[in-house]
Amino acid sequence: MVDLARKNLLHDKLRFVITVSGVAFAVTLIFVQIGLFGGLLDNASVTIDHLDADVWVTSSKTPNIDFAHLFPETSVQRVRSVPGVARADNLIVSFMFISLPNGARENIEVYALEDFNRWHFPWNVVQGNLDDLRRGRYFFLDESAARRFGPFAVGEYREVLDYRLKIIGTTREALSFTTTPIGFMDYRIAQTLLGREWVGRTTYIVAKLAPGADAKAVKAEIQRRLPHNDVYTTAEWSRQSRSYWVDSTGIGFNMFMTVLLGGLVGIVIVAQTLYTSTMEHLKEFGTVKAIGGSNGDIYKILAEQAVISAVVGYVLGLIPAFALVPAMAKGGLKLVITPELMLAVFVGTVAMCLLAAMVSFRKVATIDPALVFRG
Amino acid sequence: MLLEATDIHKTFQEGRETVHVLNGVTLSLARGEIVSLEGPSGSGKTTLLSIVGCILTPTSGRVVIEQHGVNAQHQGELARVRRQYIGFVFQQFNLFPALTALENIEYALNIKGVKGAAAQREAQRVLVAVGLAERLHFLPRDLSGGQKQRVAVARALAGNSPLILADEPTANLDSVTGGQVLEMFRALAKQENRGLLIVTHDPKVRAVADRVLKIEDGRLI
Repeated sequence: MVDLARKNLLHDKLRFVITVSGVAFAVTLIFVQIGLFGGLLDNASVTIDHLDADVWVTSSKTPNIDFAHLFPETSVQRVRSVPGVARADNLIVSFMFISLPNGARENIEVYALEDFNRWHFPWNVVQGNLDDLRRGRYFFLDESAARRFGPFAVGEYREVLDYRLKIIGTTREALSFTTTPIGFMDYRIAQTLLGREWVGRTTYIVAKLAPGADAKAVKAEIQRRLPHNDVYTTAEWSRQSRSYWVDSTGIGFNMFMTVLLGGLVGIVIVAQTLYTSTMEHLKEFGTVKAIGGSNGDIYKILAEQAVISAVVGYVLGLIPAFALVPAMAKGGLKLVITPELMLAVFVGTVAMCLLAAMVSFRKVATIDPALVFRG
Repeated sequence: MLLEATDIHKTFQEGRETVHVLNGVTLSLARGEIVSLEGPSGSGKTTLLSIVGCILTPTSGRVVIEQHGVNAQHQGELARVRRQYIGFVFQQFNLFPALTALENIEYALNIKGVKGAAAQREAQRVLVAVGLAERLHFLPRDLSGGQKQRVAVARALAGNSPLILADEPTANLDSVTGGQVLEMFRALAKQENRGLLIVTHDPKVRAVADRVLKIEDGRLI
């Protein structure tokens, strides 16, 4: 078969470049917007996803991991006694003031456990030994804090809530949606720093199930025993922590609008160029009809041109999106491009271009083949 | 009879006015016959060509091609008749600029349902027949006017369509080239037993025609 669609498309190279540039721009825009959004949401639940727990107990109506409320730490005993629970511990998550060498005060978000290694948390330790946290007034600080607090090194001291603590280790990838740097310290040290109100109280209980235990049944039993708390599986709690930011901040709507606008930009550019191209090739399409071709034959030409534009534009749009990943990381932003996102954007791009081609379908349907006789 | 058009009427609506373009035209064409249709501008000759070419539908009248009555109400049926029975040669050549001479013919054959190697062989055959063996892979922009019209003729002949309809095939050619194209056209039509209806202003066409029809104000005279 002679591929008239491809040959016609490539015959006018400038128009082709404009078309695929439009598609590529839209694709890059969509990747960056969704990727950044994904990165932000990733931060919103990255600690939940990496802590080796199956069930989370929170105080009632806790909206997300960052905004924790207090409840009695003795509740952990009830959780430990539930059949199917292999182990359970208290976890404190709280914001604390940290004094910087320049005199400024900033916030860190502290995660405090009695035994971090037991929960494989934090998951990416760069320097230091987590067991040492139990030995005194020490803490780990995530490397990302350097951007906010300036450079720091293991062995240096910082004042946290006016207590002098030594940095004994660093971590990587421990981030929060609020962009507040994350630190890790011993559970009892955290309670001491936080003051009287925190004595005997915690913000979460994390539980690991015994092998073969039914998560739903265990969760239901914990909920029965702690009726004034909320109980989630890790997946549920992760989802809730992410959706809180989507629902309450308008960031989801903002992302949706940007993606919609990116898609519209692509559709308008492709539709405009395909339509102009159709108008310029009207006589050729008339000839196709005159020599016996149907509207379907011409639709196929336009659809193939749209798909070629989509595929080339997609590839050209994906390259800068990937190139932006390290550049964004340098600026402290996480651009997440997953295979699922790549597939979804690819399908969306093809659909976008086919939708744009349909504008020309209407024109083609009304082509009078008799125009081939006009000079 | 290859083509029989009987009592063809065609009217167009222009605003509130009804324009009668064809008023009861009857014509026929046999295989191997070359007919020239002459007439002044606006006489209805191109409209008649469009109707017998199953591009336009008559307001009334009947078109029969190779004993098959054409159902003018069904666009799909008209397209099928065009594919199966008719080859066109246009005044402006109407070649696809992005396709080479060979691909232009192959594409027309693809539309007619001939594909792959068979289409390529037939396209080469007709291009050789019109004297363009050395220009198979040239784009239309690299061909002269006469060569383009030869490609257009080859496209009409490809696929053994029995009826060839040509609209002013020499209008865009100089007189020498036009004469050569007409001679070639005549030879191929006779040799391959095709019926050829040529709409023209060009008096040279008479020299190759077996019969000359004149049309004026929508009537054959």
